[in-house]
Amino acid sequence: MTAFAPIRTAIGSPRGGASAAVLVLVVTCALFAPLIAPYAYDIQNLPSANTQPGAAHWMGTDEFGRDLMSRIIYGARTSLTVAVTAISISVAAGLTLGAMAGYFGGWFDRAVTAVVDLTWSFPEILIALILIAIIGPGLESTMVAISIAYLAQFTRLTRAQIMALKNETYVEATTNLGAGHFHIIFRHLLPNALTPVIVAGMLATGDAIILEATLGFFGLGAQPPTPSWGAMMSSGTAQIFIAPWIIIFPGLAIAITVISINLFGDALIEALDIRNRLRSV
Amino acid sequence: MDASVTRGDDLVTITDLTREFSSGGGFMKPRRTMRAVNNVSLNVPRGKVTGVVGESGCGKSTLARLVLRLLEATEGTVVFDGKDLAKQSQGEMRKLRRRMQMVFQDPYSAIDPRYTIRRALLEPFQVQGEAKTAADAKTTVDELISMVGLSPRMMASFPHQLSGGQKQRVGIARALALRPSFLVLDEPTASLDVSIQAQIIDLLETLKAELGLTYLFISHDLSLVRYFCDRVVVMYLGRVMEILPGAQARPRHHYAHALLESNFEPDPTRRKVVTMLGGEIPSPFATIPGCAFAARCSAASDLCKRERPPLADLGSGHMIACHNPMD
Amino acid sequence: MTLLSVQSISVSIGTLCPLESITFDIGKGEILGLVGESGSGKSLTAMCVMGLLPRIGGTVTKGSIVFDGRELIGLPEIELRRLRGKRIALISQNPMTSLDPIIRIGNQVDQVSILHLGLSAEAARARSLDLIAQLRIPEPAAIHRAYPHQLSGGMKQRIVIAMALAADPDLIVADEPTTALDVTIQAQIIQIMVELVRDRGLALMLITHDMGVVAQACDRVVVLYAGRVAEMNVIGEIFAQPKHPYTRELIRCIPRLGQERGSLKGIPGAVPSIVDYPDGCRFNPRCGDAQELCRNQVPALERKSSGLAACHFSEV
Repeated sequence: MTAFAPIRTAIGSPRGGASAAVLVLVVTCALFAPLIAPYAYDIQNLPSANTQPGAAHWMGTDEFGRDLMSRIIYGARTSLTVAVTAISISVAAGLTLGAMAGYFGGWFDRAVTAVVDLTWSFPEILIALILIAIIGPGLESTMVAISIAYLAQFTRLTRAQIMALKNETYVEATTNLGAGHFHIIFRHLLPNALTPVIVAGMLATGDAIILEATLGFFGLGAQPPTPSWGAMMSSGTAQIFIAPWIIIFPGLAIAITVISINLFGDALIEALDIRNRLRSV
Repeated sequence: MDASVTRGDDLVTITDLTREFSSGGGFMKPRRTMRAVNNVSLNVPRGKVTGVVGESGCGKSTLARLVLRLLEATEGTVVFDGKDLAKQSQGEMRKLRRRMQMVFQDPYSAIDPRYTIRRALLEPFQVQGEAKTAADAKTTVDELISMVGLSPRMMASFPHQLSGGQKQRVGIARALALRPSFLVLDEPTASLDVSIQAQIIDLLETLKAELGLTYLFISHDLSLVRYFCDRVVVMYLGRVMEILPGAQARPRHHYAHALLESNFEPDPTRRKVVTMLGGEIPSPFATIPGCAFAARCSAASDLCKRERPPLADLGSGHMIACHNPMD
Repeated sequence: MTLLSVQSISVSIGTLCPLESITFDIGKGEILGLVGESGSGKSLTAMCVMGLLPRIGGTVTKGSIVFDGRELIGLPEIELRRLRGKRIALISQNPMTSLDPIIRIGNQVDQVSILHLGLSAEAARARSLDLIAQLRIPEPAAIHRAYPHQLSGGMKQRIVIAMALAADPDLIVADEPTTALDVTIQAQIIQIMVELVRDRGLALMLITHDMGVVAQACDRVVVLYAGRVAEMNVIGEIFAQPKHPYTRELIRCIPRLGQERGSLKGIPGAVPSIVDYPDGCRFNPRCGDAQELCRNQVPALERKSSGLAACHFSEV
């Protein structure tokens, strides 16, 4: 019963295996972008602007003559960093808030639930936009905005798990041995509640990539010249009839990454057999 | 049981214990209160087995949790070996828990599914702040596990790899880890097959003799309680109806009698004609001024419906709460 | 006269074989107890008789079930459905699996006689009220109007019994009908059920793990262990002179009134898991009298001085 067994099972399934391979590729691009990318992402070369895909530039160049493939490879770095960091913060905060609310109950629970229900009733994009309007655009703001936008989801999920788990006999038995709240929460409740939250976090990472791209598209995310898939698509809209590849390739990058994350998440849910627990929220 | 048992021989003394639960009280819902345990007084003599028997909703499981202060009492006191539990600080309570433990009804969820048996058996020491060296831990766990009749080979197993009976043995080993003097057994065999139930009862008997334990045994099974216990407390709707001083004592309360008559003997030559109890079991939220059993009792008088009968001593420790006891 | 005859039924679910060579019969007007612990296959046997195995993905691999002269194995589902409810009724452990929570109690009981006996609505209602009264439920008219959630567990189970009786079946299969109930309620329901079954001359297959209930209610008993029949005999013999060591030990596991402390020992070990059945007699690892033969050879269910038992060493 090791923690890796379900991951191995997931990779063993056809969709899990294929999606995992794509994800490994995307992560490799992000990690080793300077080694993989054929050109620098910010070198402008105006004479060769809007070059069609060809031998020199596999995916063509953009309106400033920058190599599109290099920018997409570097863009993976931006997208993944923002999405993974934001969701990690969100999961960590959601676990803490949800565990406290679910375990202690009382006024703290009512306050957390009220705030969570309020944010839950707005789409994530709206919350992110409002937050960016307050703290201003930029990469860090995007991370903060995304992590807060998804906080409600993880808090709710964790709270529901903890509420169910705290009535288990082993919790009562351990309390009766003299264990304190800290021991109960960290040694019993959170370890048992963790799996569905992690999987939900993985699935949310896909959504976060789209959210980051959307904010980038509006010019609210990464600022030039930092490449971001969303911002690249946005600049491609002006060239859509002259150089459609500028918008198509970043779009494909987003789609393939997000679909892979979702497929792998699904395979993992199957392998862990936790579909019901995710739905219990 | 001898009648000479005095207060000093009681390990636990429960006085006027009441616990209320509320439900509703939210938006558009009226608040309703039920008394799961209603003014219960009884004592648990040292070195004996005190049985609490009753049907669902009689408050026996709530009583078990109040006695260990896993729930706070609404009113009344529980005194364990001279210490009023409600007056103990958290730290003092933690120390006291070494001496009073519980075995739970559902062995399937009594151990964290992520814990190995070894880890589950070491947890009591960990929460009590007793660090163990690797060698120490091994002897301790080996000792515990063989004490309950399991093989030390099981130590690396997870709970789901064990049968129900084996899990309950682990539950007992965990309860005994800190060498308590008092065990509350909350229907320890109710979710087990009869052949396993008898094994566990046998084990509990052996352990009691070896370790000099005192038991409070909660069950719905009167024949089991009469076999295993030195005295029998019969509860109904949160109240004590009768306390029988010995397993062979004939019940004189109408409810205790009905309970005994409802118990089919495993002997086809002794078939019973069941007397039908009239009336319905009252809602636990209803306030009953008189005897809780009056609605279903054939001997109920006006007095029974009006006034709650006090728990009176019939002599030699036989207590009964009835206005018109049976002969 | 034999109403139901089950001959060497074996059942498989996937690669597992939870029932092997189950043989027993029920006569008209007889109460047959089917006892065993968890994993003995007693509920599966009930599903088998009801023809409900396909619903859990099980199939009968061999044997025959003859009900009133008719072979049930291989009968199309539509014919089986006609038998179920009409001639064979089921009472399950949880009454809520038989009651629809959003339909009034009365309408549900009425429906059975309308559907199976072709009664008019008024006649069905009169019949239901009569049945409800026979189950000693106070104020039948009020109960007739009530919804399931307004009744206690014991009342609901009585209604399920009324529904089972409503179609005038020949055989009732009751699967742990009182296990979920309190003892005082259990005693009353067993009493009423036995009375009604006897009055009408119906056959009852009573599935239970409780030897007390068996002793109180049954005429004959089939003892199951780990998917096989251990023993079958009339009630008196089962308790006075059990032919199979498992039966003997099982009866010893129940404390009797006045039994001496320390004399209750239980059966060592545990019921074997279905994926891990021992060779030979499946009880051999727990049996005090087991010999080499018991570990190697499956004992046949054979005639003893009275009844049938599957043991190499019980007296002949």
